Amino acid sequence: MVFLTLSCWLRNRGPHRYWKVQEVLSHARHFRGRKNRCYSLAVRAVRRAFVYATKSRKLKQRNMRKLWISRIAAASREHGMKYPVLIHNLVKCSVQLNRKVLSDLAITEPKSFLSLAKLARARQQEGFGAALGDRKEPPGVFSRIVTLQ
Amino acid sequence: MTSRGTPSRFLQSVLQNGVGRYVCQLKRISLVFSKKGPSSLGVREFIEEGVVDYAKNNPGTVVYVSPQPCRVPKLVAEYLNGNVKEEALTSKTSQQIAELITKLTNQSGLDIIRIRKPFHTDSPSIQGQWHPFTNRPRSIEPIGPQKPPAS
Repeated sequence: MVFLTLSCWLRNRGPHRYWKVQEVLSHARHFRGRKNRCYSLAVRAVRRAFVYATKSRKLKQRNMRKLWISRIAAASREHGMKYPVLIHNLVKCSVQLNRKVLSDLAITEPKSFLSLAKLARARQQEGFGAALGDRKEPPGVFSRIVTLQ
Repeated sequence: MTSRGTPSRFLQSVLQNGVGRYVCQLKRISLVFSKKGPSSLGVREFIEEGVVDYAKNNPGTVVYVSPQPCRVPKLVAEYLNGNVKEEALTSKTSQQIAELITKLTNQSGLDIIRIRKPFHTDSPSIQGQWHPFTNRPRSIEPIGPQKPPAS
């Protein structure tokens, strides 16, 4: 005689609850308060955290650029120039350094940044000279852009 | 998967490995397989052909070959910094196992997690890092060695 009814009642109903709960709680361990211990609170907090993480991927680029710009502005003001003037004149001299590199130079290589500020200042003076005076040839060196062939 | 919730590290090499001599960071490789199971066929082929050549080419790595009754053939790689990496080799061909082993040999034992920056320098500043007095004019003359009195 074999009893089959009891074994028919036991069903395999999926992975054990502990592992499913740990999957969520492992992402909440560094949170503050009961959200790092209690599952129902943690589920909502973890979902918000993931949403913030996806949204902030674009925000990170914006914030980093803002940080670089404010650092370059502070460094150029130390040398008596403003940020838009510096950038515009560097572009006119065809110096294609981006804001990240400029801010790193301002921090770790202050003398190179000083020379860049002087370059921008010289180009600015040449621009003023060309606009105000009626000179046929630009007298300065920096406003002549050489194209390699 | 938040960046603060998952572990991350900075780019580094183990004790500046390539600067002088290069030391292979793989300490020990153990091939666990079964003599008869069908999933270990690739492993057995690799042991017939490729293991001896691999062991001769990498004299700094110890190769252990252990036939055991097991369902899942495994490759256990141990590195010099103590990390252990296990890979399952079920139903892999001998070629795939060879590629996997070369990949593990070329790795250093550091964790494979998010690397924060793709660069690293020990000397980030050459002209001297900026401090609030770099661009200020000096208030005192530089002090040199004192001249002895003339009389």
